[in-house]
Amino acid sequence: MAGIYVHIPFCKSKCSYCDFTSFPDKLCFAESYMACVYREMSKRSGQLKNYTFDTLYIGGGTPSVIDESYIAMLVAAAKKNFNLSQNAEITIEMNPGTVSAGKINTYKKCGINRFSVGLQTAIDNQLRDLGRIHTLNEFITCAKLLKGENFSVDVMIGLKNQTVSDIEKTIEVAATFGASHISMYALTPEDGTPVYTDYLNGELPDSDEVAAQYTAGVEKLKSLGFDRYEVSNFCKKGKESRHNLNYWKRGEYIGFGVSASSFINNVRFTNTFDLDEYFKCILSDHFAVIDSEEIDEEGREEEYIMLHLRTVDGIDLQEFKKYFGVDFIKKYSNQIKKLSDSLIINERTLRIKDEYLFVQNSIIIEFFN
Amino acid sequence: MLDMGKKQNIRNFCIIAHIDHGKSTLADRLMEKTGQVSSRDMENQLLDSMDIERERGITIKLTPVRMFYTAKDGQEYVFNLIDTPGHVDFTYEVSRSLAACEGAILIVDASQGVEAQTLANVYLALENNLEIIPVINKIDLPSARPDEAKKEIEDVIGLDASYAPLVSAKEGTGIEDVLEAVVKYFPAPDGDESATLKALIFDSYYDNYKGVILFVRIKDGQIRAGDKIKTFRSDKIYDVVEVGVFSPNLSPKDGLFAGEVGYIAASIKSILDVAVGDTVINADNPAPEPLPGYKKVQSVVFCGIYPLDGSRFNDLKEAILKLQLNDASLIFEPDNSVALGFGFRCGFLGLLHMEIIQERIEREFGLEIITTAPSVSYKVVKTDGEVIFVDNPSHLPPQSEIEHMEEPIVHADIYSPPDYLGQIMDLCREKRGTFLQMTYLDKSRVRLEYDLPLNEIIFDFFDSIKSRTRGYASFDYELKGYENSKLVKLDILLNGEPCDALSMIVHEDSAYTRGRTLCENLKDAIPRQLFEVPVQAAIGGKIIARETVKAVRKDVLAKCYGGDITRKKKLLEKQKEGKKRMRSIGSVEVPSEVFMQILKTNKD
Repeated sequence: MAGIYVHIPFCKSKCSYCDFTSFPDKLCFAESYMACVYREMSKRSGQLKNYTFDTLYIGGGTPSVIDESYIAMLVAAAKKNFNLSQNAEITIEMNPGTVSAGKINTYKKCGINRFSVGLQTAIDNQLRDLGRIHTLNEFITCAKLLKGENFSVDVMIGLKNQTVSDIEKTIEVAATFGASHISMYALTPEDGTPVYTDYLNGELPDSDEVAAQYTAGVEKLKSLGFDRYEVSNFCKKGKESRHNLNYWKRGEYIGFGVSASSFINNVRFTNTFDLDEYFKCILSDHFAVIDSEEIDEEGREEEYIMLHLRTVDGIDLQEFKKYFGVDFIKKYSNQIKKLSDSLIINERTLRIKDEYLFVQNSIIIEFFN
Repeated sequence: MLDMGKKQNIRNFCIIAHIDHGKSTLADRLMEKTGQVSSRDMENQLLDSMDIERERGITIKLTPVRMFYTAKDGQEYVFNLIDTPGHVDFTYEVSRSLAACEGAILIVDASQGVEAQTLANVYLALENNLEIIPVINKIDLPSARPDEAKKEIEDVIGLDASYAPLVSAKEGTGIEDVLEAVVKYFPAPDGDESATLKALIFDSYYDNYKGVILFVRIKDGQIRAGDKIKTFRSDKIYDVVEVGVFSPNLSPKDGLFAGEVGYIAASIKSILDVAVGDTVINADNPAPEPLPGYKKVQSVVFCGIYPLDGSRFNDLKEAILKLQLNDASLIFEPDNSVALGFGFRCGFLGLLHMEIIQERIEREFGLEIITTAPSVSYKVVKTDGEVIFVDNPSHLPPQSEIEHMEEPIVHADIYSPPDYLGQIMDLCREKRGTFLQMTYLDKSRVRLEYDLPLNEIIFDFFDSIKSRTRGYASFDYELKGYENSKLVKLDILLNGEPCDALSMIVHEDSAYTRGRTLCENLKDAIPRQLFEVPVQAAIGGKIIARETVKAVRKDVLAKCYGGDITRKKKLLEKQKEGKKRMRSIGSVEVPSEVFMQILKTNKD
């Protein structure tokens, strides 16, 4: 199993927590940019003839901000250059403030079968604080347009002035209007973003409050039929994001566009974060990779542990033995003994207990060398 | 060139001053003016040669310097300037340096006037019968009030300040006046060149090639390369390889004569063999009496020093050995702790000395270290009659085997203007002091004498007394002996496990408060773990205070998708690195810094 990721770095405006590669003022370059992405794909296609791709994920930025015809061409280019499986999961990220019936129709027609909607919160004041361009009503309109489709909704916790009931309301809205998948993330105040100032000023909820919000959110999701399959991801039965699961299972993926990352043949590599440089590389018929690292044996094992322990399935002990030639339980017996309160172990799997998923870092790093 | 025999043209002196009144700057100017160092080549403040000294503005290691000056009387003079450390920990070293001089330049800041530390050193200088020239410095400052400063010198110290040179060491004005005053007011050294050799060791350091270099003042007689020497308090005999003077680097000469200041290199292997204050004598013709004033240096403060990274014990050992080459007052022995692993128990002259050693280990050897709470040496009389001395709380025998304990008591002299008597007496009472007597020296100076437990003054007494008297009081002490005391061992338990590195010996009356403060501080300093951690203070088996470190509730990386995997893994690796720097106390992981936190506890 392998995935394709395409990064669309354009936005209408920058959200106050965003430290991703996105350019709110460069929409005019969308056409040239997409031309480069198609070109990058065709340049890569030769190398990946033996791969079958099971997912295509169009993320950003805000992919829905650019003309939908570029998206349709993008999906076509992916299909043309790579073996995209028959029932591939094809996802696009959308901002509720940038959609229309026409757009969604085009998306569906070109083969997109999964949508990820950035709601974040159902409280308009908080949306404004986050610098989001949409309102709750716009989300509802968007959700109505997606009626019957497989769509996911992003929900944030840990926001300024956010209460547990705000979070419950947001989840309820997402569920009521048909989401089959919900991602619930705690806001991470990154240095250099406007929310970092809020953080420094102590205006954001502290870690205990966020933990309480998370617990309440999990409860609410559960009551609405959303099962947790990764620490921050919840879905109705069978509606897991296959694309993201591939990441957590250490599957391979190829990324296109500025800042996109790839993981092929145990090498992790990343494209330039600079738009101009990306253009220059692609137009001069080069790849735009700026960073590449072959993951060594130890690194592979650590990645495997770190990623699998994020999921509720945890580590498949047989698979681990097959990949790394050692028995996990034996190799890490000291750590397991030390962490016994927080782990569930049976003959097939080792995973973090539900109530410890939100403090998993301290557990994961025990297994690091 | 000066005839070496012309003793009357030698001036040996030092500079005493409050901490930032410009001692080093003035010394630099004197050297510059006498052509000792060209101003172009001059790195600011040559005398303070260690980084720490420069940053803290204090002198630890003494560096004498020799200068030539042609005075207005047309004669050429040799000046030997001997710098002195400026802290109570080094009072003994100061007194030995002063004993090598005939005069002292007293710097007083024109805007700040006479300050406490000035007084302590002035009295030390007077005790050593030095002539004192007051110098008013920093007259370039807009806030300068030289007349008031002079009046203060006369009122507070009782020196005639009418002839005090007015200078700005910074701008280089008035320096000539200082040089002339040195010639005019400081006496030439006395001493008899033809008598048997008596040389005062006022400092020493270890040189990789020459062995120990002794800094000496020749009081009587002479010394040349090839002479056989010994010190009064050791039987070892050495062949003098080289003698010379400081210019300011070592500069060899044929001989040193009574009245001169210089150095001796005699292939001495260890600094421990030659004590500061001891007298160098000729082995073939030994003087019958030593010079007065020798004292054996005694460790007063003890603490454990451990490498932060347990695998660097050998590096730490090497660092301490190297430091001891130059610092005979640093003593140590190997030690180990359940919490901290292998390290050393070290003894120091005082708290500042301890801090300096810690800093030098970290800076000069690039080692990160953990130090435990400072302690003094307690006398423990056991039920079986055995008497032991314990400076490490974890070596204290069980309560049931202790008949009684005694703690070191010092006799403290505190000099202060009368306005601050109340504050000083309050402080001494808080520190369990016993009032002995009070003497009015004159209308502006009172001497208070107290007996104080040493463990109460090693932490912050010096700072407290300064802050409560706005720096005017000065304080000196000497060990008096041991007295009975109700002392207890205060243990800290983390999640029920005792942590030996956090134990301390305290007076029964303050145990409860100490324990509570410790628990409160530890609660804030220990990071939250996956489980709740009780922090307890206990005496014997009895818990006297408790706090709780709550369990961590959120410790998770947000979104971890394709491009993020490498970055997120790096974050986890960083977290892991932090964890590696922690010490395990049972199941609890404690950052190394926490062990230092104790020091702060003791400061409130």
